Amino acid sequence: MKSVLFGAVAVALACAVPVLAHHSPAAFDRSKEVKLVGTVKDFRWQNPHTWIEVLVPDEKGKEVLWGVELTSPTYLIRAGWKSNTIKPGDKVTVVVNPVRSGEPAGIFRSLTLADGRVLTERPARLGTPDSK
Amino acid sequence: MIRSASRRVAGALVLVAGLAIGAAQLAAQSQAQPAPPESPLSALAPANISKSRPAAPFNLTGNWFIDNSPGIQGWLFGPATIPKLKPEAQEHRDAYLQAIKEGKVYRDDIGQCWPAGVPIIMTRVWPIAMIQLPTAIYMISEFMNSMRVVYLDGRSHTDPDIVVRTFNGESVGRWEGDTLVVETKNFTNDPHHWVDQGVPASDELRIIERIRMINNGQTLEIAMTLTDSKNWEGEWKGVRRWNRVNDHDIGEVECLPDLNEHLQSTSSKVHVR
Repeated sequence: MKSVLFGAVAVALACAVPVLAHHSPAAFDRSKEVKLVGTVKDFRWQNPHTWIEVLVPDEKGKEVLWGVELTSPTYLIRAGWKSNTIKPGDKVTVVVNPVRSGEPAGIFRSLTLADGRVLTERPARLGTPDSK
Repeated sequence: MIRSASRRVAGALVLVAGLAIGAAQLAAQSQAQPAPPESPLSALAPANISKSRPAAPFNLTGNWFIDNSPGIQGWLFGPATIPKLKPEAQEHRDAYLQAIKEGKVYRDDIGQCWPAGVPIIMTRVWPIAMIQLPTAIYMISEFMNSMRVVYLDGRSHTDPDIVVRTFNGESVGRWEGDTLVVETKNFTNDPHHWVDQGVPASDELRIIERIRMINNGQTLEIAMTLTDSKNWEGEWKGVRRWNRVNDHDIGEVECLPDLNEHLQSTSSKVHVR
């Protein structure tokens, strides 16, 4: 397993809909996606951010700890997540928009579980017709 | 007999003299200590709530979520509307723009767990629970459960000499026809309080919100006018809309001391402190 970097993938800024967060989203490069193939070290289901720590082997096989920031469970529940959706030891593929500095951290885009299920932070959003 | 009566008279004289001295001391003390200000009835005092008042034109009790369909620049206090800044505020704004140019983040104090304050909690994608009483509206943003109270019981803003200045300020509202007009001032002068996008807030910040309920009670329209003589010239205006949310209750949201240890982006090199 290794991480795959997609340089400058054309992720439309228009897709970067603001989500519940407690910090500026400007730290993340929305024009890039990084695909992390690795093992869950920790998963915390909490406000204001849910987060995942994933151990991802680099090109030399050394494991690098990536921090992945997700929105609040308020949204994730509506997108089909549960507090036990993933647990330490699970093999996962996570796509993130990385921080601009090149440090191993990013904001969540999608998760693919070992059984092939794909989860995002969408679709239901508060205050929209699909949210009553 | 005569001797006994004399002793009683002498004792009474001593008592009267003692009382007179005590009264004089009390009077002197009351002159030295100013009387405490008269405490108005609390907004939650039954005697205040039950006072006779005209019926409110609308009741905004409910959960609300900002309409972000216009996109980010539609609900932030965007560059298109920023007034002419005073020199010190312009320095912050320039540093903010330079940080963006370099792919960095300027002074993201909220990310470091400082309170967002008003007006930011009224412009962000966190729900707000509002509970309206005849005397006040209690607003609780899910964003760090920040509480804001808009008093409607006819009180004035607190004397500036005793008010405790805060990030949410002090809000007093009144009804004008079908509009709730809220004036908020008495903000803190803390350097971690921002209006938006690199523009600081000061203790001179004053916000007028004109709030209408539209769309058959499903939308709040909030027209905001901001002035801050320390930071910009004239008025800074913007309109936000909030949609009613009936299937969500706000939860407990804390910026815990260890939160950022697991959010590497908040300690990243991209930050300009």
